[in-house]
Amino acid sequence: MRLYLIVSASPSLCPGDNPQATHLPRAWAPLARPPPHGSRLTADLFSTNPGALKSPVSEQTTTPEDQRSPEDPLTPPPPAASLTPEPHNPGTPPDLFESVAEGPVVVQGGSPKLSSVPLDLPAGGNGGEGKQQEVSLEEEGDEPDIFDTMSSPKLQLNQAEGDGGDEFIQITVSDPQKIGDGMSSYMAYKVTTKTNVSYFRKKHWSVMRRFSDFLGLHRKLVEKHLHSGRVIPPAPEKSAIGTTKIKLGSDKNADSGSLDFIERRRAALERYMNRTSTHPTLRADPDFREFVELDAELPRATQTSALSSAGVLRLLNRVGETVNKMTFKMDESDQWFEERTQQIESLDAQLRKLHASMERLVNYRRELALSTAAFAKATAVLSSVEEHSSLSRALHQLSESTERTQTIHHAQADADFYVLSENTKDYIQLISAVKDVFHERVKTFQTWQHAQITLAKKREAKAKAELAGRMDKVQQAQEEVTEWEGKVERSQEEFERISRAIKKEMEQFDVMRVKDFRDMVIKYLEDLMTSQQQIIKVWETFIPEAKAIS
Amino acid sequence: MAPILFQDGMEDVLPSETNGTKSGRSDTVDLNDSTLQVDISDALSEREKVKFTVHTKTTLPDYAKPEFSVVRQHEEFIWLHDRFDENEDYAGYIIPPPPPRPDFDASREKLQKLGEGEGSMTKEEFSKMKQELEAEYLATFKKTVAMHEVFLTRLAQHTVFRNDHNFKVFLEYEQDLSVRTKNKKEKVEGLFKSFNKSTDEILLAATQKDVDDYFEREKTFLLEYHMAIKDATTKADKMTQAHKSVADSYIQLSSGLSQLGTIEGPRLEKFINKVADTFEKARKVEGRVSSDEDLKLSDTLRYYVRDGSAAKDLLYRRLRCLANYEQANKNLDRARAKNKDVHAAELAQQNACEKFEHISNKAKEELNDLKARRVTAFKKNLIELAELELKHAKAQAQLLKSCLQSLPEE
Repeated sequence: MRLYLIVSASPSLCPGDNPQATHLPRAWAPLARPPPHGSRLTADLFSTNPGALKSPVSEQTTTPEDQRSPEDPLTPPPPAASLTPEPHNPGTPPDLFESVAEGPVVVQGGSPKLSSVPLDLPAGGNGGEGKQQEVSLEEEGDEPDIFDTMSSPKLQLNQAEGDGGDEFIQITVSDPQKIGDGMSSYMAYKVTTKTNVSYFRKKHWSVMRRFSDFLGLHRKLVEKHLHSGRVIPPAPEKSAIGTTKIKLGSDKNADSGSLDFIERRRAALERYMNRTSTHPTLRADPDFREFVELDAELPRATQTSALSSAGVLRLLNRVGETVNKMTFKMDESDQWFEERTQQIESLDAQLRKLHASMERLVNYRRELALSTAAFAKATAVLSSVEEHSSLSRALHQLSESTERTQTIHHAQADADFYVLSENTKDYIQLISAVKDVFHERVKTFQTWQHAQITLAKKREAKAKAELAGRMDKVQQAQEEVTEWEGKVERSQEEFERISRAIKKEMEQFDVMRVKDFRDMVIKYLEDLMTSQQQIIKVWETFIPEAKAIS
Repeated sequence: MAPILFQDGMEDVLPSETNGTKSGRSDTVDLNDSTLQVDISDALSEREKVKFTVHTKTTLPDYAKPEFSVVRQHEEFIWLHDRFDENEDYAGYIIPPPPPRPDFDASREKLQKLGEGEGSMTKEEFSKMKQELEAEYLATFKKTVAMHEVFLTRLAQHTVFRNDHNFKVFLEYEQDLSVRTKNKKEKVEGLFKSFNKSTDEILLAATQKDVDDYFEREKTFLLEYHMAIKDATTKADKMTQAHKSVADSYIQLSSGLSQLGTIEGPRLEKFINKVADTFEKARKVEGRVSSDEDLKLSDTLRYYVRDGSAAKDLLYRRLRCLANYEQANKNLDRARAKNKDVHAAELAQQNACEKFEHISNKAKEELNDLKARRVTAFKKNLIELAELELKHAKAQAQLLKSCLQSLPEE
């Protein structure tokens, strides 16, 4: 996957966005809301589709065809399943991500069926998961080719790894505008999408979105996909100070500080959108599609506000999770996970350190630009005072050369920042998302353990009842035992499923990460080289001037 | 204790600044430089002090030996300068500015900070930064040696100064010159004197009308120029400092990347190591840019700040002399009017007149000389600066290019 960094504004598109757009959300909106359960995890395991859970997980080697039939039962139950109205094409996207490859012809063959499986199902994720696993098993060999052919050092293009058909989606975030005034104002951004992915209605269009919409999207994606073992790209952070400054400042007074903040945010949003769209499952998610396509204001994601009740709830949940993370030590039996967890931790620490030194570099270079500018001015003054005419001219030239060098330094500092520092920061956040996914697995393990313990207790209770000869109690105990046996089985499957899913995700994540890192570094080195070449030109023009001093 | 080691690149500095014939700095000499050649052949840094070994080669008869060396400390250089400064015979000359005190405080502080932060960085990083700081220390050291040497060579080449008795003593006398640092009383005296001088200067500048337009213009020019060049020097210093910081931050980037490489494992390791290596090399080049800018640009500016200051002193002395002359005239008139002590007054007036004319003539020469010297020095250093900047930029571009080309394909 390539990182995508387009900084320019895209032309406004699709005049007259079709009114039909409205029908989409209506179909999708309710789907997008996951069943409001207290505990997401338990809900998935125990409430929705027991059937689905069993099928994919158990078979690792059956062909996709076999997979499809068990998946049908998936379609009715979960609310999200009613995506069926949209007979969209290729669930190929998810496969692409997992398997990287030649557009699984196999999958396409069965597309209608596949598409009816909402790959975004919270629980359906399982079904989709299973299917994807199948496909990927077959396609694994193709993986390396795709990357090579598609690879380009420029961070410009965002292409979904695809078949020769080139599934392609590219998102630009541009034209930040301040809407409204005062505390109720907000920044709106134009989100432009260019794609040839078939389940989107158009090839090229724009919509306006506000920042909270992005956060809302992220939240929904997390709710729906995290426990399927997916790494959800993190959204840009909220910033109380920056936002308030924008809200309260007038357009005319936008100082460079606020402009910088807006530009940073815009670039971060763009990177976020592109990362999310590279992930085939997330791309096909109805919420995501609605986000990029709906030509009207999205319902306010009020729950993203930190002060709302949902926000507070989230905060409490987060605290609870953190405590959980720290206190529960999982009995790790899987070597792979053990190693990966370690590696993720060290990667996290090291990236943070690297990021800190990058920030220092940015600051120093900005300082260099400033001090060079000051020197240029001082030299200009000196030149005007100097009485010897050719020396004065030379000094004037020196002042101009230094002025030009200053611009170069300033631009380089920006490159230091946007190419190096911000991308590394993104990676630190992505690693956080990975840690979250790993933690989900730990939670499923916990649930499984808990179920096992409860089962043992129930069995004990039953045995006691039998001994005591309480036939009525025995009956009830038996029911409970059966129930918990089922739960144990399901939670174990869930655990194994998520473990497998994570492994798959991580493979792709690694490939993507490596590629992105390479691209980032290469781009940076190229920028650095360009700066040096510009500096060369500056001094080359100066030398004859200096030599001309008589 | 660190004897100087001439490292690559630093050699550019010393010959140009110190070897009188090449610098073209002094045009007042008959270029008979073989008669008296002075240089600093060695220097030792001992905690608080620096000991310079002043080496002289001469064909002049008044010296006991044709070649000899003595050890001098900074205070003794200042002593020498003060002797010239106070000497009324030299009132019409620009006295070469004294070298600044060797100042390693900044380097020492940095070294200390580094030591404190040792725990937070890897061994590699630490040793690299230590190396950097040591190089910095060495550079400061070399600079101070160069500046002391320049001071001496200027004196040696000056037709009048070279014959000064104190200079001879400085060069020859094997014992310590016992120049004790001024005790409190003398320090206060010194302060008082300089305070007096500056108020006098201001007073004179305000009240004394110059008879000569040339000098009036020169005064205005020098004042303006002095301010501008001082400002430029400060800004130049800031700029070279910032450049150095950028170069130093590459160290952490490079080592951070190397560590990342180890964690990443085989997939990225080779790639990362190549990049880390490039940053390390780039850092060295950037560091050189910074130090070359410092040497060619900042130091040149700085030197002319000081030389300009010396020129201002000259002008001040001349003005004072003019004031005295006019005063003597007035005294003479008064004496003639009273018809008392006329002869003495006449003598005094004659003296003052001679002095004044002598100073004015010499001063004109010296100021022109200063101009010429300045133009030449600037030309030389600006050309060298530009060439070095070009060289370094090309080196960096090449370095980055070859890195990009050689990055192992996935």
